Amino acid sequence: MINLDNISFDHCIKCTVCTVYCPVARVTHLYPGPKFSGPDTERLRIKNPDLLDDSLKYCSNCKRCEIVCPSNVNIADIIRLASANNPKRKLSLRDLILSSTDLIGQIATRTAVIVNWTMTLSPLRRFMQLILGLSHERAFPKYASSSFSKWAVRQTRAQEIYPEKVIYFHGCYVNYNNPDLGKSVVQVLNRLNIGVVTTAEKCCGIPLISNNRLEEAKKHARHNIDVLKKAVGDSDMKILLTSSSCCLALDHEYKNLLEMDTTGIQGQIELITKFLYETFEQGETPSLKPLRLTVAYHAPCHLEHMGGVVYTVELLKKIPGLNLKLLHSECCGISGTYGFKEENYAISQAIGQNLFDQINDLKPDLVVTDCETCKWQIEFNTVYQVVHPITLLAEAMGCQNILKTGGK
Amino acid sequence: MRFDSIIIGGGIAGMTCAIRCAEKGLSCAVISSGMSALHFASGSIDLLGRFPSDSVVTNPFDQMPDFINHNPEHPYARCGEKAIADSLQYFTDQLQQQSLQLCNNGRQNHFHLTTYGTLTPTYLSQKSVYSPELEKAFFENQKMALISFEGFRDFHVPLISANLPGQTLFQNRQVTTGTVDLSPLIRSQKNPHEFRSIDISRMLETDEDLQKIADHINELAGDAGIIGLPACLGFIHHASVYEKLQRLVGRPVYEIPTLPPSILGMRLDHALKTRFSNLGGVFIAGDKVVRGEMQSGKLSGVYTENHGKTLLKAGSVVLASGSFFSGGLISDSAGIREPVFNLDLTYEKDRKQWARGLFFQPESHQFLEFGVKTNEQLNPFDSSGHLIDNLYCAGAILAGYNPIREGSGGGVAISTGYTAAEMIIGRTASTGAARP
Repeated sequence: MINLDNISFDHCIKCTVCTVYCPVARVTHLYPGPKFSGPDTERLRIKNPDLLDDSLKYCSNCKRCEIVCPSNVNIADIIRLASANNPKRKLSLRDLILSSTDLIGQIATRTAVIVNWTMTLSPLRRFMQLILGLSHERAFPKYASSSFSKWAVRQTRAQEIYPEKVIYFHGCYVNYNNPDLGKSVVQVLNRLNIGVVTTAEKCCGIPLISNNRLEEAKKHARHNIDVLKKAVGDSDMKILLTSSSCCLALDHEYKNLLEMDTTGIQGQIELITKFLYETFEQGETPSLKPLRLTVAYHAPCHLEHMGGVVYTVELLKKIPGLNLKLLHSECCGISGTYGFKEENYAISQAIGQNLFDQINDLKPDLVVTDCETCKWQIEFNTVYQVVHPITLLAEAMGCQNILKTGGK
Repeated sequence: MRFDSIIIGGGIAGMTCAIRCAEKGLSCAVISSGMSALHFASGSIDLLGRFPSDSVVTNPFDQMPDFINHNPEHPYARCGEKAIADSLQYFTDQLQQQSLQLCNNGRQNHFHLTTYGTLTPTYLSQKSVYSPELEKAFFENQKMALISFEGFRDFHVPLISANLPGQTLFQNRQVTTGTVDLSPLIRSQKNPHEFRSIDISRMLETDEDLQKIADHINELAGDAGIIGLPACLGFIHHASVYEKLQRLVGRPVYEIPTLPPSILGMRLDHALKTRFSNLGGVFIAGDKVVRGEMQSGKLSGVYTENHGKTLLKAGSVVLASGSFFSGGLISDSAGIREPVFNLDLTYEKDRKQWARGLFFQPESHQFLEFGVKTNEQLNPFDSSGHLIDNLYCAGAILAGYNPIREGSGGGVAISTGYTAAEMIIGRTASTGAARP
């Protein structure tokens, strides 16, 4: 049966614009491009699901095809669903590990010192490539020794005093790798007289979606929707995020790709930079001390897709003294877990090369971006430290001296 | 979020307007839903190519006063001769800043070859399509070569060469044809049949492939004095590819448009966007304006799909969302409508008159003339006939002209985009109502 709810592939006029701007198709002939993998072959797959092309796996889910499509086709969603619904698909141990961010995070934070050290060892990385298919050349993110959520729970009482509150969906990166960013968020919001509530959130599900584990992703979505809905209750509390990809998951993928009922949280979800920009615009701009830095801003693909770049940029412009340079918007190549896979390593590096060149030409003091995996990719490929916009803002608000300039 | 001007649509009209506004210091955002029709265009700018009798216009500027007199509701009449000339010069200068050189034949039109092997009059072309040097080489050499790539489906050498002898300029010319086999250069299992213009452009952007392809072209071209190729000679790095290729084959080379995606159009798109971004403009891609917010007869801003409940406020708004193809106008069983502001339109109510029997015919089709009705300042009217004086319309959404019959699409886009910008700049200066 043809699902008549999902025939956006039929709006494709075969103009090939998506393939022109696809970062993967730009660097490798192995990927025939989003037009072919998406709308072209979807009409064949509807007739016969076995007509599945192996090249689908090269899609990195950056979603740039959907941004440029003149005909409103949900190209990336078509490709995602086709890969996930592949009857011949087998889940590899590697993809299981890469997409289980909560489990790995919990283990790694408890053993952070050992994990961080051993992951720098070349023989171990070679062994992991051999056994798992994880690229041995890739540097793995460092884990914190204590999670953000543990810290946040201890703040519960302190946050209760604020009359206005927001819910903060911190995501796995803040939780396991960079709790300092989460602490900055709390400090910045508290300075604005806003309290922060956290929930017993699970991974947003983006790594599960990218690794074709849609059923698992739905379970996460269900859990997150439930806890967030409960936290919102009958208030008008916003749900804020620092990670652009988690934001895409909650605000877009839950409803459109996973077909979840998002009543109760839809309309409340916002990237933190948008929330702060609007709060500042309403006249509550705190005093900001000048930051005499040249920073290069990189717009993550998923933030481009959501149209949120303008808020981050305008928020950063409010910091006095900041010499803000906007990098030409291009995919960095990592696309979450994509670039960690052995077979994608070279593609991922080739995609990002233009971006790295731009940064190297600019020689900034810092690079700023809203996405943690973009950060890893840029830090891996340049000598520059990459920070979240909130880290800069916290510094300008004099919250805490956490910013270390001059190398990563 | 507030801007001095918000421009809906990132095609030629919208970008010309946006660049002009940004250059004058206005804060400016362009909202674009998907890539523009430039990806489907020849990349040449038509100003006024044909008379209603279908004869070719030699000097569009000389004809303009008369043309405007006869067509008082035409967008060109709204702009006036001076603004038309100024805007084309401005457009050329802005692209030059991004190293994209556009050439003209003085005040006269020139011809460019179509992907069909016919000649069409136009006013501005990239220097690889028309330049005085190319024209000179064309007339000095009787022998020419027409070369494509083996298996490339978006450019048909036999079709072009079959049509050429019917074109006055090509009579008594010796045209040799040939195709370059790219398969030895492909380092993957991909078949050259799968190649689109962009793939070939990228191959030519690498020096190693360029050298090999140039050798092959040289061999095939024999003693031809000038070589025609599909417009795949580099996208971002087109200027250096063109220069290197001409040096390698030792004679003039010219580009002929292909089927989409049009590299010639994409170069314009890229140059316009880069220029706008260099001027500090905000380009919001992949988003759709859903409605405007009116406040005491004026437009206070727009709502978009991605920005949800957040109003994007603007001092002035420009609607340059294109015609039917780009979704600026919608035609359905109820009639024709403009989907964002539900503006008053000029169109024929009798559907039988909309199209003619044959797809290709000199009179073209009437539906191409449908569009938004405006006053002389390019301000439209809402559905109850009230003028919206801080909303301007530019480009293909305008009523009262037929870009295909007249050969005027690019010229109207540039001159109305520019004129709308001038109106906004004047208004911002006089009211002082620019920045919050």
